[in-house]
Amino acid sequence: MTLSQSMFPWILLTAAFLFTLGALGVLIRRNPLVVFMCIELMLNAVNLALVGYSSYLNSEEGQVFAFMVIVVAAAEVVVGLGLLTRVFSIGRELDVDDLDEMKQ
Amino acid sequence: MNVLLAVILILAAISALGVVFSSKTIYSALSLVLTVALLAAVFLVLNAQFLFVVQLIVYAGAVMVLFVFIIALLDPTAEDRPRLFDPRLILGVLAVAGLCTAVFIAARNDVTYDTACTTQAVTCMHGYTVGSLTATGDLSADPFHTFGFPENAVDRAGNVQTLANQIFHTYVLPFEITSLLLLVAAVGAVYLTRRVAVGPRRDPQAEERWRDELVEGGE
Repeated sequence: MTLSQSMFPWILLTAAFLFTLGALGVLIRRNPLVVFMCIELMLNAVNLALVGYSSYLNSEEGQVFAFMVIVVAAAEVVVGLGLLTRVFSIGRELDVDDLDEMKQ
Repeated sequence: MNVLLAVILILAAISALGVVFSSKTIYSALSLVLTVALLAAVFLVLNAQFLFVVQLIVYAGAVMVLFVFIIALLDPTAEDRPRLFDPRLILGVLAVAGLCTAVFIAARNDVTYDTACTTQAVTCMHGYTVGSLTATGDLSADPFHTFGFPENAVDRAGNVQTLANQIFHTYVLPFEITSLLLLVAAVGAVYLTRRVAVGPRRDPQAEERWRDELVEGGE
């Protein structure tokens, strides 16, 4: 029997809670840095669910996918923060409500 | 061990609240560091040692250092209160609550977990039901279901070895595509920060010209 298998529903519940919090943060925060952090939170929640399932099903595949998610998250952070430094360097305020040129 | 896991999960949830509702960006970042470290601990408890190490090195190490660095560079004192009592906040909370409810309803209705699996983990490890499709018994005979290592086999080989076997045999193509993604991200980051580093900042007139150019381009 895998360790902590009876805790599996609670792991899933925590993962859903973290994902929901991340989505809420993306919606209500204005600072793009915090928005990025909330996206990281959502990715981490998905990782938690993947590893929880992997442990529950005695499978290694969920961990492979979680590994890929970590790599993609790292790449996303690099590009996103590069964009933010560029936005800042042209003198714009870091506020997702101001940076809405692409809507027009 | 279950008590330890429960405590870690609760602490992770609390620190995740700190990420979303902190008024200062740096507090959000530090809360996220704590959340990530606690999730790494969860990975360790769940017998995923490799991911534990990767999570600590990549997330708590590289990504969060990058975040804190950028915060210190851009707006160390910026305050950003969450938009309370904003109509959009209410809309957002409703949308998120709907999403969460949908996930829970789907989980309760479509996926039922066979409680017998908690005692007979290896022999009925696929005793779960998804929708109308019931999957009980031996799926490992099916070539499309490569999951389901017997646990003692995983323990004998070790987590890193079995994971390496998966990554470099079954999932070698996604792994290679991942390296391409990292290359593209590195090139993109260099391109995005290039002119900022060497060009306009040292020459105010050129910066002015460049900004006008950008504004014209944006309109």
